[in-house]
Amino acid sequence: MIVEMSKVEIVGPKALLQDVISVLQESSTFQIEPSIVGFNERVGRKFIRAFLPDEKSLSERLFLEDLRARIGELFSYLPAVTVRKSYIEPRPIIETIVRTIQKHIDICKKLYQEKDALQREASELKHYAVFLDAMESLLKGVKETPDIDFTGITIKDIKTIGHLRDALASLTGGEFDLLTTTAQDGSIVGLITTGKGEGERIKSLLRDEQVPEFTFPPTFDALTLPDKVKYLKKKISGLSSESESKRKEMESFAGRWAPIYRRVKEWIDDRLYVIRATASAFETRQCLFICGWMPSKDVEKVGRRLNDRFAGEVVLETREMIEKDLDSVPVVLRNPPYFQPFEMFVRQLPLPRYTSFDPTPFIGIFFPVFFGMILGDAGYGLVLIALSLVLMKRFRTKKNIRDASKILFISSVYSVFFGVLYGEFFGDLGYRLFGFGPICVERRTAILPVIYFAVSVGVAHTTLGLSLGLITSLRKREKREALYRLLNILMIFCILALVAALFGIFPDLLTRPFIIAILVLAPLLFFAGGLLSPLELIKSVGNIFSYVRIMAIGLTSVLLAFVANNFAGMTGNIVLGTVVAVLLHLLNLILGVFSPSIHALRLHYVEFFSKFLELGGRRFEPLIKENKKEEESWKKY
Amino acid sequence: MEKVLIALCAALAIGITALATAWAQSRIGASGAGTLAEKPELSGTIIILLAIPETMVILGFVVAAMILTLK
Repeated sequence: MIVEMSKVEIVGPKALLQDVISVLQESSTFQIEPSIVGFNERVGRKFIRAFLPDEKSLSERLFLEDLRARIGELFSYLPAVTVRKSYIEPRPIIETIVRTIQKHIDICKKLYQEKDALQREASELKHYAVFLDAMESLLKGVKETPDIDFTGITIKDIKTIGHLRDALASLTGGEFDLLTTTAQDGSIVGLITTGKGEGERIKSLLRDEQVPEFTFPPTFDALTLPDKVKYLKKKISGLSSESESKRKEMESFAGRWAPIYRRVKEWIDDRLYVIRATASAFETRQCLFICGWMPSKDVEKVGRRLNDRFAGEVVLETREMIEKDLDSVPVVLRNPPYFQPFEMFVRQLPLPRYTSFDPTPFIGIFFPVFFGMILGDAGYGLVLIALSLVLMKRFRTKKNIRDASKILFISSVYSVFFGVLYGEFFGDLGYRLFGFGPICVERRTAILPVIYFAVSVGVAHTTLGLSLGLITSLRKREKREALYRLLNILMIFCILALVAALFGIFPDLLTRPFIIAILVLAPLLFFAGGLLSPLELIKSVGNIFSYVRIMAIGLTSVLLAFVANNFAGMTGNIVLGTVVAVLLHLLNLILGVFSPSIHALRLHYVEFFSKFLELGGRRFEPLIKENKKEEESWKKY
Repeated sequence: MEKVLIALCAALAIGITALATAWAQSRIGASGAGTLAEKPELSGTIIILLAIPETMVILGFVVAAMILTLK
């Protein structure tokens, strides 16, 4: 439902402006209007002007913005950890904060840079770790003596090993050993052992053969390969523990100081918000003047609060809403708990205008009905009820999934209801096993009656949409538009009745009166709607026939279920038959969730809402405190 | 012969509309995928747009059903 709004003006002494805005901000129900248009316009031109901030306000704003930026810089160095909420009063400690913040930024920046450098170094060294792990396994098989040189290599192609071995044999006269293994990342690692002093010749050979030698950082040059392995492992472990200790130090700092800085930042945000909001206020020589919008039910409460706080010096009054205000009234949608999950469908559209209707209750009523009519299977409905209950329990904290599960639950209940009417339980399985037959109609065979039913639903739904459009026109006092919509409804009824009479559904006797009625209504329709009115009429009739999809998609669902049961019977094997039936029913169930949802939504968005909904409403954006905006995420910064 | 013609007409009614729907959906699907890459928040609207051409095949199906059932 669209909440009823009031047009409000607040007047008081100019010196109280910031305090008044703070009170309005605490109430979280007042949207300030930065334009005087539509308010005290006539008087306003002479005496009222936009509020000009004084020197004190400007310097306060600059000071607070600078402090806020510095707190932001401090937070950028701190790790994102969950911290307690501070209830300290920020105003008395601002001076202390100003004195300490630079020191804290320096400490945190230093810790951050040190930790960053350690992590970078460890990451570079880890690059060698994979190679060294493989090398270590090779070194275990070699007896370490002072007259041996070790050279580590990486081999790209396993086929080159034989050729390399031949080249080494020819260079060293067979006095070498080449051991290879596969490293963790899949690359081939080799270890060449030769006599002392052969190192340079081996390196030259590797260059010629284009086999890359594994190189280490320059600090490792003085060490032998086995020592490099030991040193690297020790170094990585040292760096990790040092980095961990820096992290703990930063977390401990965050745990001690972040809640206080966060509280101060919130307070600064609120103050800045108030200072910025003053730019939307107006002043006379001695008075403040604030105009805006608020929900009608809150007017009395806020008025009383202003009266109590400022001892009657500040007055809140409601003004009469005139026709030209209607386009600028902000819109708030508020619905009973049953309809709230359906707001997720409405959020796909722009906000409705204040003079229009909130589409949520309509989609809340009709969406599950259409879903149930299309799926219409008690067995599938029961499975989906169980699934939605599980999802609701599992994702209790995730609003979107919880809402979607609630919608699925309600729609599934309708699916069970229509399933009982159609006599469908996993297609015709209910009939085969338990003799569960249709109460109203069997969709698989009675195609034409179901088409008539779907079109009838379309007539009812579209007529409701047109009637709501008629009410909107009457509300806006647009008489010609209202007449046009009324004539449209009458014409649709006459055309459909005529078609029904021609097809023999209505008595033949009614054909002539309906033709006469259409001939009488047609000129009136031209008069009220202009030359394009027949097109609109044809569109409306097309929209009604579009509801046939309820029958068509439902029929595909029931036929697929029927095929699943028949396939199972044709296999001749009970296990195979069950598997085939389950798989086909599963496929049908998945289609049975998506297809009815999409088409039921489409029937609302395209066919129904286009008849009455006026989009483009202005969002209600009240003055609000910073901690209320972030109520959900107060634990993190 | 009459039965064959009736079956052929029903098949044409659903076959041609199915091809038309498939063509329209392929164009909308390609554009929709491009849109989603830039604005993922429009996924709901894209799904609805994708469902719009299905009206053709649904009406084709209804016509086919009427050809087969009405005498």
